[in-house]
Amino acid sequence: MHIEIDEISKAFGTTAALHPVSLSIPSGALVALLGPSGSGKTTLLRILGGLEFPTSGRVLFDGQDATGLTVQERRAGFVFQSYALFRHMTVFENIAYGLNARPRATRPTKAEIARRVTKLLELIQLPDIGARYPSQLSGGQRQRVALARALAIEPRMLLLDEPFGALDAKVRKELRQGLRDIHDTTGLTTVFVTHDQEEAMELADLVVVMSMGRIEQIGKPADIRARPATPFVKEFITA
Amino acid sequence: MSDTGQIRFRAATEEPPATRWTLIGLAFAGLAILVFAPLIAVFVEALAEGAIEAVRSLASPDARDAIRLTLTIAAISVPLNALFGVAAAWFITKFDFRGKAFLITLIDLPFSVSPVVAGLCIVLMFGANSAIGGWLVAQGYPIVFAMPGIILATMFVTFPFVARELIPVMIEQGRAEEEAALTLGASGWRVFWTVTLPNIRWALLYGVLLCNARAMGEFGAVAVVSGKIRGETATIPTTIEMLYQEYLSVAAFSLAAVLTLLALLTLLLKTLLELRHADQLAANHRH
Amino acid sequence: MSKPLIHRSPMPGLGLSMGITLTMLSLVVLLPIGALLLKGANYGLAGIWETVNRERVWSALFLSFRLSLFAALFNLIFGVMLAWVLVRYRFPGRRILDAAVDLPFALPTAVAGISLTALYAPNGAFGSLAAEIGWKIAYTQWGIFIALVFVGLPFVTRTVQPVVEEIEREVEEASATLGASRMHTIRHVILPMLMPAALTGFALALARAVGEYGSVIFIAGNIPLVTEIAPLLIIIQLEEFNYDAAAAIGIAMLLISFAMLLVINLIQVWSRRRIGYV
Repeated sequence: MHIEIDEISKAFGTTAALHPVSLSIPSGALVALLGPSGSGKTTLLRILGGLEFPTSGRVLFDGQDATGLTVQERRAGFVFQSYALFRHMTVFENIAYGLNARPRATRPTKAEIARRVTKLLELIQLPDIGARYPSQLSGGQRQRVALARALAIEPRMLLLDEPFGALDAKVRKELRQGLRDIHDTTGLTTVFVTHDQEEAMELADLVVVMSMGRIEQIGKPADIRARPATPFVKEFITA
Repeated sequence: MSDTGQIRFRAATEEPPATRWTLIGLAFAGLAILVFAPLIAVFVEALAEGAIEAVRSLASPDARDAIRLTLTIAAISVPLNALFGVAAAWFITKFDFRGKAFLITLIDLPFSVSPVVAGLCIVLMFGANSAIGGWLVAQGYPIVFAMPGIILATMFVTFPFVARELIPVMIEQGRAEEEAALTLGASGWRVFWTVTLPNIRWALLYGVLLCNARAMGEFGAVAVVSGKIRGETATIPTTIEMLYQEYLSVAAFSLAAVLTLLALLTLLLKTLLELRHADQLAANHRH
Repeated sequence: MSKPLIHRSPMPGLGLSMGITLTMLSLVVLLPIGALLLKGANYGLAGIWETVNRERVWSALFLSFRLSLFAALFNLIFGVMLAWVLVRYRFPGRRILDAAVDLPFALPTAVAGISLTALYAPNGAFGSLAAEIGWKIAYTQWGIFIALVFVGLPFVTRTVQPVVEEIEREVEEASATLGASRMHTIRHVILPMLMPAALTGFALALARAVGEYGSVIFIAGNIPLVTEIAPLLIIIQLEEFNYDAAAAIGIAMLLISFAMLLVINLIQVWSRRRIGYV
């Protein structure tokens, strides 16, 4: 799905988190929002997911105005930094949650839900952990379960907030490839937030560098490396 | 085309305003009926015949004796329980031993025993027809139907208050500061007075506050062991009962108002402590 | 290898703190409870059964337990709602409401008892309103129910409040991004998270209500077989110097208390095993 961000701004009280920013994300792209903390990247991601609402501006999904859609209506697969798994549910129940939450008329049958959950567990390469609780999983396993849970609702796009932030360096490298593979398999438009320039450069097709609520530069990783547009970008990517 | 200014957004983690205000309204209504109404009723009934009558009834010999006895009971039982609470918290948090969880359960026991059963236990242990009680009465030291019994009953029902407040705080603070003081050559008492006590003083005060409120207001356990002898073993709560049953409503409610003011003062101080020293109090309270 | 009973420690005051703790615990709590159990042992199971197995005793125990259960159920629902309102919403008067929740802990039971009676008696402020529709509250089981709701009010709220504070917003947001309505999120995500704490509070309120005496006897009317609670029966037996019977009823109540203490602990163990927190 093609995502168009049109002059979006966001103020919390009197402080501006986002100055009007515009950004076009082509269908099927894997995009990194890169910047230090306080740059507005998470706010922008949450606006896309419908968790935060812009002070002004519009969001368009495939050319349709989506600004007023509720979070439920957006069908954005969202992976939280803390993963936000439901601790009182098994992995299976976590992944099935979005399907079970559908109104009766559109809810798949029990057997169909089980089939889809099994498929997703295979996709994240953890086929045997359905009966476990989140407290019994490693950090990397939790991240992948969160990803499977987001994919279960057949999302129109995938949004990830610092998906590798809570992991140690070794697991981080492995899971980067995992996300790349899942993106390539599903073909979903994917946006992830990171403060790690190496991660953004290595994984993304398109990198959006942000600072102080503004977009500093949009470009392919190689272009940004070769031709940083502002002194901020130059310093940030060499840091 | 839509303009964001015309769309009414609601955060994903909020209930609709109608639901929100209904719940707030129910909370107010529920507490108004259950808590505020009885509170107000005490003062309304006490002042039913005017303030002068209320004050006069407080000056009656019965009321004065009851107040004196209750203050005496609290002055003895609360410090003893504070001593126990500090000793138990020290023993439990500074040493590792087997059966610690069981000991904590035993200390908590009085919270789950009915005050009447607590009084009954003390009567059976120290009453005139028990072995110990009979001997003590023969020596001229009766426990039941006398002050020592009331003190024991009061201590029983308030037993866990101070320890319960101190143990979580002292666990959280760990032993490092005390160990540092010991390596610097401080004596055991010096460590306690100069390191531990300053760290736990607000939690101690908090526990003592709740302990005192309960000690002055205890009714069931005291009713069983005291014999309710006027001028001798009638505390404020038992005197309230006697006056009420003699249809001396103003006198009963005037004494009740004194205890209510004490309860309000306790709540006020408790709230202040929670606001000022929240970091030095136990995070979770089990009452 | 067996663990030593007490590990060596450089901390001072082992003998003193252990001595004070064990001596006072024994003298104030353990010996008196032991005296009750000993009395029961001497009296024998048959004797206890004979005392308890009388219509008046059964009906008092049943009344105490049944009304305590109803009151604790009311407090379970109201307490969870109150905890939610106090933690999540901002409105004028919130602090006062929050402080008011503790009043039943601080107000002596005898004071609560006469005050509730004054309110709900047929000539009282609420009682006269109820009387107009022919509803008698004081001196009936309704009165006992209200007194037990009063004393149990803080338990659920105070155990649930910290848990509500700890719920991460992200968990609720995750539920919403997965398409769940707010109602669905509350039913399937929030309430299950609050359940262990709410059940603990419920059991505490229940235990407190079963043993409650002071706030109930004034409003109860104390009619045998109708509004006579179990703790009052103990007092009546004691006033007749019928120590064996008093002990028998006391042991029955003590067993109920211990059973509930066990249930509370089981709830906490279960919830810690399953979801890693209480």
